[in-house]
Amino acid sequence: ILFFAWFAAEEDLVGSLASMSTNERIKAIQKMPETMRKKRDIRNKVLKEITKKSRHRGAHPSCCTQCLQGAAVSFRRFGNTLSEYFHLLRIWHKTLKIIGAEFGTSVLSYFVFLKWLINFNLFSFLINFGFITIPQFLAAEPNKLSFTGLELLTGAGYFQQTVLYYGFYTNATISKIKNGPSYNMQLAYIFTVGIYFVICFLILLISMAKSFYRNFINPQAVSGNASKLLCTWDFNITNEKAVKLKQKNLSTQIKENLSEVNKEVLDFSVMERVLRIGVHLLAWVASLGIAVAACTGVYFLSINNLELFMKGQRNDLESQAAMLVLPVIASLLNALIPFLLSWLGHLERFQTPGQHIYVTITRIIILKMSIVGILCYYWLNIVATSESQCWETLVGQDIYRLVLVDFIFCLLGSFFGEFLRRIIGTTVFVSLGRPEFDIGRNVLDLIYAQTLTWIGILFSPLLPGIQMIAFLIVFFVKEVSLRRNCQPPRKVWRTAQMMTSFIFLLFFPSFLGVLSVIGVTVWRLKPSEGCGPFRGLSSMYAAVSGWIKMLESYTASKWVVWIYHNLITSELFFFILSSIVLIVTYLYWKIIQQRKTVTKRLHEQLIN
Amino acid sequence: MGNKQTIFTQEQLDAYQDCTFFTRKEILRLFYRYRDLAPQLVPLDYTNKPAVTLPYELIGSMPELKDNPFRQRIAEVFSEHGDGSMTLDDFLDMFSVLSEMAPRDLKTYYAFKIYDFNNDDYICKSDLEKTVNKLTRNELTPEEVSLVCEKVIYEADVDNDGKLSLEDFQRMIVRAPDFL
Repeated sequence: ILFFAWFAAEEDLVGSLASMSTNERIKAIQKMPETMRKKRDIRNKVLKEITKKSRHRGAHPSCCTQCLQGAAVSFRRFGNTLSEYFHLLRIWHKTLKIIGAEFGTSVLSYFVFLKWLINFNLFSFLINFGFITIPQFLAAEPNKLSFTGLELLTGAGYFQQTVLYYGFYTNATISKIKNGPSYNMQLAYIFTVGIYFVICFLILLISMAKSFYRNFINPQAVSGNASKLLCTWDFNITNEKAVKLKQKNLSTQIKENLSEVNKEVLDFSVMERVLRIGVHLLAWVASLGIAVAACTGVYFLSINNLELFMKGQRNDLESQAAMLVLPVIASLLNALIPFLLSWLGHLERFQTPGQHIYVTITRIIILKMSIVGILCYYWLNIVATSESQCWETLVGQDIYRLVLVDFIFCLLGSFFGEFLRRIIGTTVFVSLGRPEFDIGRNVLDLIYAQTLTWIGILFSPLLPGIQMIAFLIVFFVKEVSLRRNCQPPRKVWRTAQMMTSFIFLLFFPSFLGVLSVIGVTVWRLKPSEGCGPFRGLSSMYAAVSGWIKMLESYTASKWVVWIYHNLITSELFFFILSSIVLIVTYLYWKIIQQRKTVTKRLHEQLIN
Repeated sequence: MGNKQTIFTQEQLDAYQDCTFFTRKEILRLFYRYRDLAPQLVPLDYTNKPAVTLPYELIGSMPELKDNPFRQRIAEVFSEHGDGSMTLDDFLDMFSVLSEMAPRDLKTYYAFKIYDFNNDDYICKSDLEKTVNKLTRNELTPEEVSLVCEKVIYEADVDNDGKLSLEDFQRMIVRAPDFL
């Protein structure tokens, strides 16, 4: 009887599979948890069933349907071969797999994030190059300056009169052919930058939402012991040492967990609690003080820098080197202060190592973002209102130097932090051992570099291309350094939430800050008179409003003018939009709360 | 289209592509890996479906599996005879499920079978104890192991029968995004 029941169930399965479309059927067969032999049997039965059905159905000559079926099969084979060739384009797939195998998924997530940023910068570079730089090449003026090798480092000199900087772009309407199609450079510049940032915003929002949805569905249940035991084993690891390390780690974690359970919760006396809070407060005040001191130093240095630049444009070695002082100091601060903050965190003696990591990362973020903030303030308030000939190019050059020096320091950091440390750890102080790859610090470096790039896009349109090349070199260097010098990480990071927090960090302080800087630049600041696509206008945004005024006289484009006046510049529209978004968010939140209570109630019912 | 190969018929390759998550090139590459384990046993012509089985010792020596503490269980779950020896079908099946293209619920199903040491469709306390020992390389004392297993069963067992069924296991995995 059992045999017949099983047979009937299989008939049902075959029938339901036969009625699906080809793609769905293949996916359903692939997903079945059966052995290969069984799946092949079922597949053959399904195919027989399909041909039987079509034979029953068709009053048409069968050769026609057979032709179609044959065509469908060969089309699918062609599609498969094509997708194989696309797989060849995934250049770093093998490298990433090897890194994941030897060091675990947490280190892999750093490299995946880096690869994501490289793709991002490639996309920005292509957009800028295509829409802004190529038309500029058609209307380029000859470059009268000479090229010395030092320009690569300082970005000044010969590079000032090239497409690298904002100042070189013309404000004219470019047309090669008389009365032919023309290309308005002003509108192109502002629309390219504007639409690029909108696309960035959407991409970041969607990525964040996707990883948030995947990894934070039910945060309450993750802290259980069961999931820790059965789900944190990283099956990707194939390196023997890494496996042993992971096993030791897991056993230590379980022991700690058990000893916590067996011991009673340590009850701190009031005095001890006050002392602990005092120590934490002191540490926070100290780290904020360090950040403020660093910012003040950078500010005064940059004012000094501007004076130096305004005084004279001597192109000798000394003044060129003086221009590099600010970026070097800024990068030095960014590289050394995190160690100080980490040591401060050690002194504080947090209750769990996780708290220590999160607090240190927060402090480092505060430091880096405040340095970027003070530099932006200096650029927007002081350089823009100074009497220099072309302040946007000055800002662009500053950012170029910062990006370059940061890149050099990243490579140096890898050299000292990993290579030398390994040599010291294996020869002189053998107890130290090989260094671990510090994921947090490296990711924050990447986010800092990307923030600088985003700020610089308006002033130096080719900067994403330079940053992309820098990131490529960093990827290669870090990967080689990782394999030669580092050991797999000893601490357990919650890797699924890491990518989410990286993108979240990228979005919130970094991207939104950049948006506000760009917003202030476009709306409030007066472009310089003598250079750039917006020369002579009262603000960069005036190009758009001027264009709309011009469009008003054409009846064919009245709808564009209507959209502009009633949607983009009207406050009522944004007010309504924001209220709708808030209401929808509130409704979704209420639905989630209600679903949580229902789940809890069902859970209790099941137990009882 | 592509290189002409004489190992499989087109029909066989189509069937493999439909039943696993691999492309044609990957299937051929896996065949060569399978053959490299024992070139004298595996023929180069599979068109007449030879019945070739490689013993567990060869499978377990593959670089991808040799350091995995669960390699014996993995081989046993996917092998036809249940003793770890594999035909080419089992081999492709195993790598298809372990690949990154397999969906999570398929991996969950097989993970359950891997952790179920006595093959009774339930993860009972002794299964869990063996799992913990394999995961921690016998570093914990037997009392600690026992305590951990009790906690796991207490947390995940919803129908209160003292052991974990497939549904309990799946529910637990759904809530833990770290599962690989």
